[in-house]
Amino acid sequence: MKALVLGSGIDALVTAHTLARAGHEVTVLGKRDGEPSPHTGWIARRVIANLDLERHGLSVEWPDPWVSAPLPGGARLALWRDVARSADEIRKLSARDAGQWPKFCERMQAIAGVLEDLYGAPPPDPLTHTPGGLIDLARDALRLRKLGRQSMDDFLRLLPMSIADLLDAWFESDVLKGLLGAQAVMHLAQGPRSGGTAFNFLHHHVGSPAGVFRQARSNVRDVLSALPGIQRLEHEAARIEVQDGGVRGVVLDGGERLAASLVVCAGDPRRTLLDLCDPGCFDPELLRALRNIRSRGVAAEVTLTLARDPGFTVLALAPTLDHLERAYDDSKYGRASSDPYIEARHEAIKEGAHRAHVHVQYVPYALRDGTWDDARRDELAKLVIAKIDQAAPGFAASVLGHSVLTPADLEHRRGYPQGQPYHAQIALDQMLWMRPVPQLARYRTSIEGLYLCGPAMHPGIPGATGANAASVILRDLKKSK
Amino acid sequence: MADYDALVIGGGHNGLVCAAYLARAGKRVLVLERREIVGGAAMSEEVFPGFRFSVFSYVVSLLRPEIIRDLDLPRHGLHILPLESTVTPLANGDYLGQWSDHDQNRRELARHSLRDAEAYDEFGRLMYQMARAVKPFLSMAPPDPASLAPRDLLGMVRIAKQLRGLGGDRFHALHKLLTMSAADYLDEWFETEALKATKSASGIIGTFLGPRSPGTAYVLLHHYMGEIDGVFRAWGFAKGGNGSVSAAIAAAAREHGAEIRTNAPVAKVLIENGRATGAVLENGDEIRAKLVVSSADPRRTFMQLVGPEHLPDEFAQAIRNFKFRGSSGKVNLALSELPNFTCLPGAGPHLRGAISISPSIDYLERAYDDAKYGEVSRRPYMDIVIPSMIDPSMAPPGKHVMSIFVQYVPYKVNGGWTDAKREAFGDAVIDTVAEYAPNIKSAILHRQVITPADIERIVGISEGNIFHGELALEQMFFLRPVPGWAQYATPVDGLYQCGSGTHPGGGVMGASGRNAAMAILKASR
Repeated sequence: MKALVLGSGIDALVTAHTLARAGHEVTVLGKRDGEPSPHTGWIARRVIANLDLERHGLSVEWPDPWVSAPLPGGARLALWRDVARSADEIRKLSARDAGQWPKFCERMQAIAGVLEDLYGAPPPDPLTHTPGGLIDLARDALRLRKLGRQSMDDFLRLLPMSIADLLDAWFESDVLKGLLGAQAVMHLAQGPRSGGTAFNFLHHHVGSPAGVFRQARSNVRDVLSALPGIQRLEHEAARIEVQDGGVRGVVLDGGERLAASLVVCAGDPRRTLLDLCDPGCFDPELLRALRNIRSRGVAAEVTLTLARDPGFTVLALAPTLDHLERAYDDSKYGRASSDPYIEARHEAIKEGAHRAHVHVQYVPYALRDGTWDDARRDELAKLVIAKIDQAAPGFAASVLGHSVLTPADLEHRRGYPQGQPYHAQIALDQMLWMRPVPQLARYRTSIEGLYLCGPAMHPGIPGATGANAASVILRDLKKSK
Repeated sequence: MADYDALVIGGGHNGLVCAAYLARAGKRVLVLERREIVGGAAMSEEVFPGFRFSVFSYVVSLLRPEIIRDLDLPRHGLHILPLESTVTPLANGDYLGQWSDHDQNRRELARHSLRDAEAYDEFGRLMYQMARAVKPFLSMAPPDPASLAPRDLLGMVRIAKQLRGLGGDRFHALHKLLTMSAADYLDEWFETEALKATKSASGIIGTFLGPRSPGTAYVLLHHYMGEIDGVFRAWGFAKGGNGSVSAAIAAAAREHGAEIRTNAPVAKVLIENGRATGAVLENGDEIRAKLVVSSADPRRTFMQLVGPEHLPDEFAQAIRNFKFRGSSGKVNLALSELPNFTCLPGAGPHLRGAISISPSIDYLERAYDDAKYGEVSRRPYMDIVIPSMIDPSMAPPGKHVMSIFVQYVPYKVNGGWTDAKREAFGDAVIDTVAEYAPNIKSAILHRQVITPADIERIVGISEGNIFHGELALEQMFFLRPVPGWAQYATPVDGLYQCGSGTHPGGGVMGASGRNAAMAILKASR
C-alpha cells in the first residue's frame, strides 16, 4: 500500500521505516535539515531491535558525570552514573542523603520500569469491551500486582505528588533537591510544588539507568535519516484530502497532489486536524477537546559557540527547589524569569570547536508586556552567559557567538505549538488513554486512513510513540485485508 | 475486665457519629472529649456576650444524608437553613453574583458573558453526574489494591465495574477532575475571571496548593458533593451554628445509650501485648475497653496517643510523611451594623449568602505565592458569611456576627506565630474587607482571629489542617492515611480510626465516622 508520512522527526521516521519493513511503499514528506530535537536521547529497546539501529551506527551518549552543580565557595557537586560514586559526592553535603541515595535510585527505577512497560504499547483502554482489550487490561493489572506492595504503593501514591513533597521526604540537601527537582519541571508550566511534578520526574526517568536523572543524547535521528527503504520528499503538506470519510492523499505546498490511502502525521494534532484537514470533518466535541490541549512552552534554547572546552559536561543551575519555584512564579504572570533554571550541556563539535546547548526555563511563550524581539533575545543570552560565568569563571570570555530560540521561535521553526516540544504537555490528564485527547488516544482519527504518530501521542517519548503508532496501523491494515 | 465495648477518643462530629452507630448496634460506648464541650471543630460558642459563632467550620452541606436519616438528627434539633447565593465583588466596583434562582443566575452570568451563561447549566449537569458517580465511594471502606483478600479483590472489581459503567465521556471527565488543576479545568468551560476564581477557590480550600496546581480540580468536586434535603450542591447554616450539628449527633448517640465524658483528655492509648485495651487519661485514670477508636488525626493518634514504638517502622514513617500543612484561618467579627459593600450597597439579599473575595485566578495565585514562602497572603482569598442574617439568635437585636474564612494562612509562618503576628494577620484581613465594604472598620465591636496554630492548640488538629490532612490525590481513598491501612483498622489490634484523616476526608461529612463504625461492626460480627 502507498503510505505518506508527514514530518521528519524521530517518530515520523520510526513509523515510516516500520511500515516500509512491513512491505509498504512509504514516502516521507518534510524538511530533512530540521534542527535536532532536544530529546533525541534514550530510544526504546524494541525500536532499536526492530529497525536494527545498532548495526546502522546508533550511538547513545551518557555524559558522565550526568550533571554537576556549583556549590558555595567555588566547589562543584558532580553526580555520576555510578551510584556509589554519586553517594560519595553527596556525602560532602549530607551523610544522611548519601545513605538514602542508593535506595532512592532503586525505588525510582522500579516505578520508571512500570511506566516503561506501559509506554511500550498503545495505551490501555480502561473502557474496552473487546476480549483482546480486556486481556491487555488484566495483564497490566497483574503486572502492577506483581510489583509487590512497596512498588505498587509507590506507583499509585507518587504520580500525583509534587516533586517537592517527594524529595522532602527523602533528602535534606537543597542542592541535591534542586538538581533532581529540575528534571521534574522540565518543559512543564508548573513549579516543583505543583501536583503531578513527581510524575514528570519519573516520566523523564524512563529509559535511564538507575541513578541517572537526565536523558541521554544519541545520533538516532541521523541514523534513521540514513536508513534505506523509504522515499523522501523535501516538501511540506499544505492540505490533506478527504473524501467520503476516507483519506485520499495530500496536496503539497507547491500545489502538487500525491494520492495515498494511508497518511500518518507526526505534527501537532491541532494543526493536523484543524489546519490541514477541513475541520468540518470532525465532531464538535473533538474540536473542543483539541482546543483544550495544554501545550504551554516554558523553555528557551540558547546555543553558544565557545572558543574552548568549558570544563563541564552538564552544568545545572537550580540551587534549590524554591529557586525553581520563584522562576516559575515569574512566568505565571507572563514575565521571563530574571533568575531562571539553566542547564548547559557541552558538545565538542570538531577539533578545538565547542558548543554549549543551554536549556533556559521559565521563559513564557507570550510576554505580558510586549513581544519577543532581537533585543529581548540578546538580553536573555546575556543573562544566561552571566549566570554560567558565575558558576564557571572565565566562561563569558570564551563565548564567540550565541543564538536564542524562544518558545515563540520554536513554534515557528519546529512547529512546537506554543513552543512545547511534546506538543501536549506531559501531565497526568494528558497521558495514557487521555493523550492527547481520549478520542485520538489510539493513533486513529475519525477519518479512515489518517493516523497520528507525533510527540502528542502516547507515550510522547521519541521513537516509542512512532513504534506504537505503526503497530496500530499495521494491525488495522491486516484486519481490513 | 473491660469497662466498655468501645472507647471513642475525641468528641468531634466523626467521633460522635461513630459512637452513635456503635451504640445503636448495642455496644457499650464511651466518648472521651478533651474539651469542656463536644463538637471539635464543629462547634458554636458565645465568644463575646450576646454573640454566638460557629468558631471554626461554619457551613453545612456535605453531612451525609444517610447519617441525618439513620440518627434522626432533625428530631435531635438539627435544622439547616439554606445559603442562597455567592457574590464576588470585583476590582472595578461591579460584582458577579451566583444565585439559587436559575433564571436570575442566568441573567446575571449573561451580564458578564453570554458564553458562560450558556455553559453554566451544562457544567452543572456534568458536575452533578460526577458527584453522583463518586458518591458511592464515600460510604465504602476503600479496598486495598495490593491485597489478595477476597473482600479487597471484590471491592476492586466493584470499583472497576462502577467506573467502566460511567461510559466514555463521564469516565474521561472524572479522570480530568482527579488530575487537573482547578484553573485549567474551569478554563475549558468559562471565560469570566471572577467566575473561574470563585469556583476554583473551593478547589484550594484546606490544601497547600495554588489554583493552577494539578490536583485541585478534585476538591472542587468534593465541594459539589453536598446535598441538603436531596438538593445537590446546596450549602446551608445549621440553626444555632455548626455546634448544633455536633449537639444533635451527641443527643442521638446518648439516646442510643452512648456515654459522653467531657473534660477528659486522653494521654495514651493503653496497649498490652500489641493490643489496644483502653486509654489512660491525663489525670491518670485508666479506662478499659474491648476496642479503641480514635477520631483524632493520624499524626496525633499514632505519634502521640499510641507512640511509634508500638508501630511497624514503615507505617510510622508513612504517618510522619502524611501532609497536614494547615493553610487557612478564621476571623470572626461582632458587628454593630451590617457591612455596606460598595458593589451592592445596602442590606440586600446578597448578605444572606456568601461574599467571596476571589476576583481572579491571578489574585488567588498571588495569595498562594506569599504563603509558599512562609508569609500570610497580603491579599487573601476570603469566604464571608453573616449567619445572623439568617439566624437572628446568633447576635443581639440589630447587631450581627460575621465569619470570615481566610486562605492562605500558613501553619509554618516565617518566624513562627506570635500574638503580634496574629493581630497583623487580623488587620490584613480587615483591610482587605474594607476595600470592598469601607464601613467594616467602624462597625467592629469585637474580633476573634484564629490561625492554623490556634486550631491546633484549641481543637487539637495537627498543623491546624481543617481536613485532618490535605485532600491531595496521594492522600485519598485507599491511600488515606496510609496505603494498606485505609479501612479504619490500624496495625495495632483493637485500635481503629474514625476521623477525617481517613477516607473520605473532612468537610463535616461524618462519613469517616460512619464508615469506621460499619467496619468495626463487621469485624466484631
